[in-house]
Amino acid sequence: MIIFSNVQKWYGRYHALKYITAEVKKGEVVVLLGPSGSGKSTLIRTVNRLEEVQEGQILFDGFDVTSTARHQDVNELRSRVGFVFQQFNLFPHMSALDNVTLAPIHVKGLKRSHARELAMTLLERVGMRHKAGSFPGQLSGGQQQRVAIARALAMEPPAMLFDEPTSALDPEMVGEVLSVMRDLANDGMTMMCVTHEMNFAREVADSIWFMDGGEIVEKSTPEVFFSNPTHDRAQRFLADRSKR
Amino acid sequence: MTELFSILHDYWKLLLIGSYPRGPLGGLAMTLLLSALSLMLTFPLSVLLALARTSGRVSLVRLSAAWVAVIRGIPLVMLIFWVYFLVPLLIGRNISGFATMLCTLIIYESAYICEIIRAGIQALPQGQHEAGRALGLNYIQCHLRVILPQALFNTLPSMLNQFVSIIKETSLGYVINVQELTFAASQVNGQVLTFPFQIFFILAAGYFLVCYAFTRLAHLLERSIQRKRLGQGHEGPPVPLAASPADVPQV
Repeated sequence: MIIFSNVQKWYGRYHALKYITAEVKKGEVVVLLGPSGSGKSTLIRTVNRLEEVQEGQILFDGFDVTSTARHQDVNELRSRVGFVFQQFNLFPHMSALDNVTLAPIHVKGLKRSHARELAMTLLERVGMRHKAGSFPGQLSGGQQQRVAIARALAMEPPAMLFDEPTSALDPEMVGEVLSVMRDLANDGMTMMCVTHEMNFAREVADSIWFMDGGEIVEKSTPEVFFSNPTHDRAQRFLADRSKR
Repeated sequence: MTELFSILHDYWKLLLIGSYPRGPLGGLAMTLLLSALSLMLTFPLSVLLALARTSGRVSLVRLSAAWVAVIRGIPLVMLIFWVYFLVPLLIGRNISGFATMLCTLIIYESAYICEIIRAGIQALPQGQHEAGRALGLNYIQCHLRVILPQALFNTLPSMLNQFVSIIKETSLGYVINVQELTFAASQVNGQVLTFPFQIFFILAAGYFLVCYAFTRLAHLLERSIQRKRLGQGHEGPPVPLAASPADVPQV
């Protein structure tokens, strides 16, 4: 579904991504772990070209993300990648419902009535149907993030990317967002997820990619990663986490 | 003091609407008409300039930045003279003082309003743009649906302040005989001759009242939109109306 081959990225002189070669299979849930600054967010942002890469190739569902395509193609690509941000980034001047229907109406050309139906179904799915008319400012962080997930799902993407979806939330709201993500994973959604929620990674991930210094230094199943990490950087990372 | 009232009594009509309907429209009505038309016509131009300034395309950014820098670096009176002498040369026929002043204000204000809108766009968090693009909206859709509605809302107070500036700037139309409020006052002064202080006091008070009223109106408008966004009868903390409503830099 998502194939990285020899992907490299620099910010000026800073080598942000080094020789990333990896694959996310259809229906697979990949969780990216690693210390901050290791390139996790950068990597998933390259999939819908929020970040450009300088070398290598990324294929998303057969679409070559990295070829310097026309703008139209990039928009088309982005409309097929569901992306959830750390800061939710809901549009504050629109109701929850309008946030969800915006792209279906204007990108897909869906009829307004049809888009509303679709949006209500999705809001139901994330447990936010009763707040459809509310503006983001009237919702809690957890509620906003759930609406943001519904908004991303509205384009019926074949895969969803999550960039630290719970890091900006108060602890008591993390659960509601993770449970929505767990449901998605159970429904067979292909997911790439940057998170610091170790329990979520352990329970939901099919595969853990541990990143450090712009490289994927370890790729394994959660069972192996959490009980017996091979890379010493990963061992230290887990030791630091368990101390907290 | 009595002179003040007798002048107002005798000349209120001239000060309000000039010699209309028997002659041309003038006075305060002309001042407001000129200001409102200027703002309306400047607005779309300024949005385009602001989009060019924030587009990231080097040529567009440089061109619009140069426009803003040049206009902001010259006095308004000088620009009035330029338009006054240049436009007839360019189009081959004379234009009215009104049209001259309108052209001048559109050119002059485009630089200032462009900066207000640019500040409004840049004050939005980057995440708003990214979220729009991540959904697959193209540049135009993203700006039309996501960026501009928020940016323009945030700039509403600055925009109305700018309208107040325009009202005051129209008084410079006096130098090319545009029949606005200042022109009317000096007409009155020409007829009365003996009470310049009272007449120009009336003029100052007139400008002040209008400008103050618009400043208040801006405030009320802002509040009413805020209430609307809150939803009727909803109790609770105020809702952020745009992603970063707090501080749109004043230009």
